[in-house]
Amino acid sequence: MSTEHAGPEVRRKSRIAGTAANAALIVYFLFSLLPIVFIIALSLKADRDQTTTYLWFAPTLDNYRTVLGLDGGGSSYVRFFLASLTTSVGAVLVSLVIGVPAAYAAARYRFKGSDNLMFTLLSFRFAPELLVIIPLAVIYRQLGLYDTAVGMIWVLQLVTMPLVVWILRSFFADFPVELEEAALLDGYSRRRAFVKVVLPLVRPGIAAVCLLAFIFAWNNFIFPFTLTSSSAQTVTVSSLAYLGGNQVRFNLVAAGAVMAALPPLVLALFIQRYLVRGLSFGAVKG
Amino acid sequence: MAAVEVRGLRKSYGKTTALDDVSFEVADGEFFCLLGPSGAGKTTTLKTLAGLVEPDAGEVLIDQTPSNDVEPTHRGLAMCFESYALYPQLDVYGNLASPLRSPLFRLPASEVDAKVRAVAGMLGIDGLLERPVTRLSNGQRQRVALGRVLVRPARAYLLDEPLAHLDAKIRASMRAELKTISRDAGTTTVYVTHDYVEALSLADRIGVIRDGRILQSGTPEEVWARPVDAFVAQAFGKPRMTLIEGGLTEDGFVSGDGVLRVPVPAVSAAPGDAVQIGVRPRDLRLRLGAEEPGAGWTAVDGRVYVLEHLGRATEVTVAVGDARLSVVAPRAAVAGLAADDRVSLLIRPSTVHVFATGDEGKRVST
Repeated sequence: MSTEHAGPEVRRKSRIAGTAANAALIVYFLFSLLPIVFIIALSLKADRDQTTTYLWFAPTLDNYRTVLGLDGGGSSYVRFFLASLTTSVGAVLVSLVIGVPAAYAAARYRFKGSDNLMFTLLSFRFAPELLVIIPLAVIYRQLGLYDTAVGMIWVLQLVTMPLVVWILRSFFADFPVELEEAALLDGYSRRRAFVKVVLPLVRPGIAAVCLLAFIFAWNNFIFPFTLTSSSAQTVTVSSLAYLGGNQVRFNLVAAGAVMAALPPLVLALFIQRYLVRGLSFGAVKG
Repeated sequence: MAAVEVRGLRKSYGKTTALDDVSFEVADGEFFCLLGPSGAGKTTTLKTLAGLVEPDAGEVLIDQTPSNDVEPTHRGLAMCFESYALYPQLDVYGNLASPLRSPLFRLPASEVDAKVRAVAGMLGIDGLLERPVTRLSNGQRQRVALGRVLVRPARAYLLDEPLAHLDAKIRASMRAELKTISRDAGTTTVYVTHDYVEALSLADRIGVIRDGRILQSGTPEEVWARPVDAFVAQAFGKPRMTLIEGGLTEDGFVSGDGVLRVPVPAVSAAPGDAVQIGVRPRDLRLRLGAEEPGAGWTAVDGRVYVLEHLGRATEVTVAVGDARLSVVAPRAAVAGLAADDRVSLLIRPSTVHVFATGDEGKRVST
């Protein structure tokens, strides 16, 4: 917008409005940071401070030591953490291996029942997980998938696959088909044209969808809660242990949660440069 | 190099018919232009030839071999897309080298380099080789797209409006360039365009297409001199051919209001039939002064309806009754003329085309 012809009065007004908008944004930013500040503070509090909301206290790393089992208390946090990593990464990989070609096919070809298939896939997302959890638990017990990594990957994949297919489908649909056709005529086979031309250009989209899928899988609570007991249990569920029994340890839960937030954060930083491009892909064609 | 042919191609998308029985043959080494308005099915025809669109019916023959089931990669055709279809992640060099590096050719790097530089030099883009294609102007992109076709050996070139997005000056020089290239290389070419000048100047033969049907195919001379219907007649020439509705009498044509009467060449229609005549504005002459019409010329009287100056020449529209006839005259000759002045036109019956009535009225003059 140009203020070239605006009088000083108007210009001052728009400057005031801009400052006000910025101030509002900063207030909102601080507000949204509050839970994070709060949980980090809580994770550093000793037992006697854990029920206070003050930010003035003597910080201690004891909670982290306890959670990581460094105090000899025999914590299994690390094992749960690794189980989370295995199942989430596994679910994302399965979703990518199957989902990328599926999304491509859904975007490029119309075949009998293609719409129904896509809708079915989407419906996995809008059925509340609680609705299917009891039959799923029964089936898992009977098949021997209960409390196994494979079982967890299988069920988390139900969460991530629709995400991958639906988001990537729109990426592929936006992708100009003539680029692939040009590659075919240049002498590349369909598969090589896909690898050479399509994949490099949708890489930002794949990166973005990877992160989203990973976060969804990582944060899932209800499936590991009902379908695992010990060996395949994930960090989200393991924190519960500190809430049960005769002593409620919010500070240990907080320490576990802070560490559990790290992998998605690290992943997001790692693929950050793809992320913005990935989420705005449709706007910058050609 | 190879001859290409399509027989009875049909293709529809839902309820829209894109191709409706398209057939034509392009001989080995021939330059064939497919001319038609947008939406006529030109690109669909080209993509069907390339194997990118599967026809509902009909056959594609390359080198006399039915090729419907041959993958696009193995048809040996090079295509230049109207949308350029350049790989945005590569620079100009990478785009030009792409076919040569493909599994189909897999040339050694030194050979790739020589060919890429040669074709870039020819198209005047040798200074842009390192530039990402996303940072090129449309005209430059179009030349890269053309280069990606010319750089490789092919049995035939398929060019989809390769000059459409160039500005007028470059277009004229590229047209001349293309003509030289095609003559020297002698590669079979199917060239899609909506510009009749390109078609007339480049083609060995022209196919005029409309609504998914080939209306006429023939040499530029044939389609110019003997258009099969009123649509083809109007597709060539600027100003376009004037069409006037009326009827046939014993001694020629008479316009609907009975004012315009001109003799016509031999026709296959009978006196009394409703027809329309077509006259190209450059086939008419404006009678100057008391000039006697020469042998074979007939004079028609009318009034100046409108004058449009086109630089050196002037397009004069003359009203003869309800009919409006355009004529192109030298500007100096019409200097004193103003709207509503009485003028007379000279018509030669041999240059009058007679068609049945209607938008696509068939030719009835023989």
